[in-house]
Order: sequence, then structure tokens, then C-alpha cells
Amino acid sequence: MQRSIEIDSPLPVSPGNPARPTLAAKVAGYPAVLSGLVTLRSFAVFIAIWWAAAAWTHSPLQLPTPLSVLTALKSLAIDGEMLDNALTSFTRLAISMGIAVVVAVPLGFLMGLSERANAYIDPMVEVLRPISGIAWIPLALFIFGVGDVLPVFIMTYVACFPLLLNTIAGVRGTDRRLLAAARTMGVPQSRIVRHVVMPGALPTIMVGLRLAFAGAWSAIIAAELIGSPSGLGFAIEWYRQLLMSPKVFAYIIAIGAVGYSCDVALQALQRTLTPWARGTELA
Amino acid sequence: MSDTMTRPKLRLDHVTKEFAAPRTGLRTVAVSDVSLEIQAGDFVCIVGPSGCGKTTVMNMIAGLDKPSSGTIEIDGAPITGPGADRGVMFQDYALFPWLTVRDNIGFGLRNGTPGRGMAANDVEERISKHIELVRLGGAETKYPHQISGGMRQRVALARLLANGPDVLLMDEPLGALDAQTRLILQAELLRIWGETAPREERKTAVFITHDIAEAVFLSDSVVVMSSHPGRIRAVLPIDLPRPRDEHVRAHPRFAQLSEEIWELIRDEAYRAIA
Ligand SMILES: Nc1ncnc2c1ncn2[C@@H]1O[C@H](COP(=O)(O)OP(=O)(O)OP(=O)(O)O)[C@@H](O)[C@H]1O
Ligand SMILES: [Mg+2]
Repeated sequence: MQRSIEIDSPLPVSPGNPARPTLAAKVAGYPAVLSGLVTLRSFAVFIAIWWAAAAWTHSPLQLPTPLSVLTALKSLAIDGEMLDNALTSFTRLAISMGIAVVVAVPLGFLMGLSERANAYIDPMVEVLRPISGIAWIPLALFIFGVGDVLPVFIMTYVACFPLLLNTIAGVRGTDRRLLAAARTMGVPQSRIVRHVVMPGALPTIMVGLRLAFAGAWSAIIAAELIGSPSGLGFAIEWYRQLLMSPKVFAYIIAIGAVGYSCDVALQALQRTLTPWARGTELA
Repeated sequence: MSDTMTRPKLRLDHVTKEFAAPRTGLRTVAVSDVSLEIQAGDFVCIVGPSGCGKTTVMNMIAGLDKPSSGTIEIDGAPITGPGADRGVMFQDYALFPWLTVRDNIGFGLRNGTPGRGMAANDVEERISKHIELVRLGGAETKYPHQISGGMRQRVALARLLANGPDVLLMDEPLGALDAQTRLILQAELLRIWGETAPREERKTAVFITHDIAEAVFLSDSVVVMSSHPGRIRAVLPIDLPRPRDEHVRAHPRFAQLSEEIWELIRDEAYRAIA
């Protein structure tokens, strides 16, 4: 339980990702152009290292050159194959996240608000939580077979835990003073849940959503690798069997790109849904 | 005279409040053996050094905390929990960070008992009136983190007043304001409390402050508390004429009463900074 609260930092600024403006950059009014250049530079360094490594190993199967990967990327993009696979995977992701939100958020409210409900459900959650989603793939293959259901099932499973734990933490973390204030205004319990606990928990739930998404997106590849005849994970496995490394790499890049874009979108959603939860620390 | 005329609005009878630290079990006596009667229509100020238990007393009257021993009654009935008849303005404001200034002020009217039975546009009108009252017209759509500390305090005050409770419990409600705004709002507060109305139409106000002149200007009586443990040191009736305006500050009695209160808390005030 503790751990899910610790992750509750509104905007992680990782040193390896200069695309996001650092605090110092914001304070100094760092021009956007300059920060764009920094991003470009770190990309250039990365590609240079990759190129050097590819030249040194000289084994196109293990490490294709950036140029061959770019060519593969281009051809996959032009014939639409990559878009098809990305859309397939993304649709599965969206469905799983939807199910996870519908299941985990209300459950989290129930567990956060009611000690009794928590006492019933929490042991089950604690037993299941350490079991990786991937561990269920073989069993899921027997039950669902190869197809759409298996990756959706695995992703939903993976996404539920961070969402559930963060919802519980958010509900329990509701500012007691605000609850007290609402009670002194004669606000009934149901309205307190709707108008105080829900918005109070929302920033933490949004962090859970991002964690859930990151987990689910990592799991989809494994699930599709084994249990699906389509999607980005399946494509990687397909081209691996054909020994076409540049295409394997191209799909790896696609996975990264989709994942990154989704996280950017989620961050934007976070900012619009909880505008009060940022930039307040220094106020 | 009927019973309701003599019965106090609020009655604290030998109230003691102890807090036990969660792990160590160490006990702090926040308030010790406090007895106090507040009549309906009274404006009572509580002054005393930091940590003497002013907020604790207010929380117990609000029903947010239970006394460890002793009883608190409102209209002769023991207080069992919070209710919209006793509105609270918290020392740290307790504004909802996700609501704009306007929505904060309207929270009780829209969601709680105060707005029950009111038509939606009456509610909105009442909110607007109180936004104007605390002079926050330009900041209506801002969020609490986007406004200054003094503005936040005015939002909290407007929220309390908009709810129109019978008993006003205010914890240093004007402490963060500049001197001029403060004087203006003191006068407004007296008006809203019902200074010009006949006594039975006035609200009952409990007002915590560190400002002696403010206490004298506003109150019918000033409760002076002392700390370690929190006790009532004295209750001074303020016999200045009402309605009060700026001239009352020049009244010789005003200076005399201020001096008396200062005498009562001087030792402790000096000890606190020594
Ligand atoms: N929840 C609590 N748990 C433990 N001790 C508490 C708690 N609330 C208050 N106290 C203690 O009770 C005493 C009185 O606190 P209180 O907040 O009532 O003081 P106060 O008179 O309002 O002070 P100030 O003028 O600084 O606001 C203090 O010693 C404080 O440490
Ligand atoms: Mg206090």
C-alpha cells in the first residue's frame, strides 16, 4: 500500500528525458527552441552510438544499422501494415484500460471507504498482486485460445492493480479538514463522497492510471507474442521467425512511439482533469 | 421570562480535552476545565497565546471533536456532531482546491443544508452577493492556489457567511488581511451579525483573534485564555455602546479595556518569546 503512495509525484522529471522542461528550465524561462535542440542532440548521440555499435559488431541479424531500420520502418509505414498492427494493439489497450477503470476504481472507492469491504477483499488482492500478468498467459491460452481475448485479459489484469491501489490511497488520503468543512455545512455523506472524496482522490487515481497504462502496454507485447495472431507483439515474433531484424527493430520503435504518445496524452488528460494539482507546491 | 430567554445558546461545562499521541500514548492536555456560557445574540471573542486551546474549543463547539470530559450544549441539548446551524471558518481556511472561488463560496448552498429549499437562481444571487461583500469580484473563476493568502481568507469568510448559520464560529478570520481591509470587514461582520437589529434577531458569534483592538471593537465579551494547560483566565464584558463605528476606537473606555486585556496576557506573551 505504501509503495503506491510514494509514486505519487505529479510530474516525474527523469534525467534521461530532456524533452520535458526541468524546473530550472521553467524558472529561467528557457526558450522552447533550446529545449527542442537538447532533445535532438540526445537523439543524435543515441543514433551515433547505435551506428558505431552496429558497425563494430557487424552482425545485421543481431544489430541492424539505423539506416536499415529506417528503411524497414518506411516500407512498413507505407504499406499500412504497421498502422494496422498498431491500431489492433491500441484498440486492445483501450478496451483493457476501460474495463480496468470500470472494475478497479469503484472497487477502490469501496475498499477505501469501508473497512469491512477492505478486510474482505484486500487479502485476495495481496495474493494476486505479486503474480505477474505474464504468468497467466499459459493458463489463458487454454481458456481463451489464441485471439483478441487473451491480450485484453492479461492487460486488464495488469492494469487493475495500480489503479486499485492508487484509488484506495487517494480515497484514504482525502484531506480531513475538507471532510470536516463539508460536514459543518450539513452536506450528506453521499454528496461528500461525490464532491469531496472523488475530486480529492482524482490526482492520485490519475497517477494510478498512468502506471496502469505503462504496465498494460508492457504486458501486451508478451501477450501478443504468444497468444495473438495480430498486433505489434505478434509482428515482432513474426519477423523474428523470418530473421528480418530491421523489421523487428522497426516494430520495437513503434511500440516505444505508441507508448510514449499515450503517456503524453494521459499527462495532458491529467492536467485538464486536475488543474489544481500542479504548480501548487511552491505556492 | 420564559426558559428560552435565560437559557444560554452555548454552554460549556467543565470541558477538558486531552490528546493522546498515536504511538507513544503521550497525553497533552489542550483544554482544561473550561466553563463558559454564551447567550444567543452575543458576539464573543477569544484571545490567548498560541497553543492555548482556542481552536480546540472551537472544534468541540462545531462538533468535530468530542470533549474528554465535561459537556457542551447548544440550546440546552448536548452537541453530538457537526451541523449547519454552527458554521465554521477554519484557521487554515479549508478551501476545496479543485473548486473556483465562486464554487467554494457556493459549496454549502449547493450541496448542504443552507441551500435547501432555495431556488437555483436565489442561490446564485446569494453567492454573487457574498463575492461582492468580500470584494472578490475579479477573482471568481480563479482557483485557491492562484490567489493570495488574504484573498483565500476572504473566500473562506464569504463561504461561512453565505451559508448564513445561526452560530458563527470563526478562527482568526481576518488575520491574513491588510489593515484597511481588516477594518472594513470588521464593520461588515458586525452588520451581518446583526448589530443594528434587535437582540433576538442577532446571530451568535464566537471569534478567535490575536488582535486585542479587534476583540474590543467587535465583542460583547472577551474571553481571555492562558496556556499549559488551556484555561479561561478571565471573561471581560465589553460595555461599549452599539452600533459601533470607527469613532468607538477613540472612546476612552476602548483604550481602558484594551489595556486590561493586555495586562491579562502580557506576562504570558513575554514568557512565550523569552
Ligand atoms: N489533534 C491534536 N493532537 C494532539 N495535540 C493537539 C491536537 N490539536 C491540538 N493539539 C494541542 O493542543 C494544544 C492547543 O491547540 P490549539 O490548536 O487549540 O491552539 P490555539 O490556541 O488554536 O493556537 P493558535 O493560536 O496557534 O492557533 C496545543 O498544545 C496543541 O499542540
Ligand atoms: Mg488555532
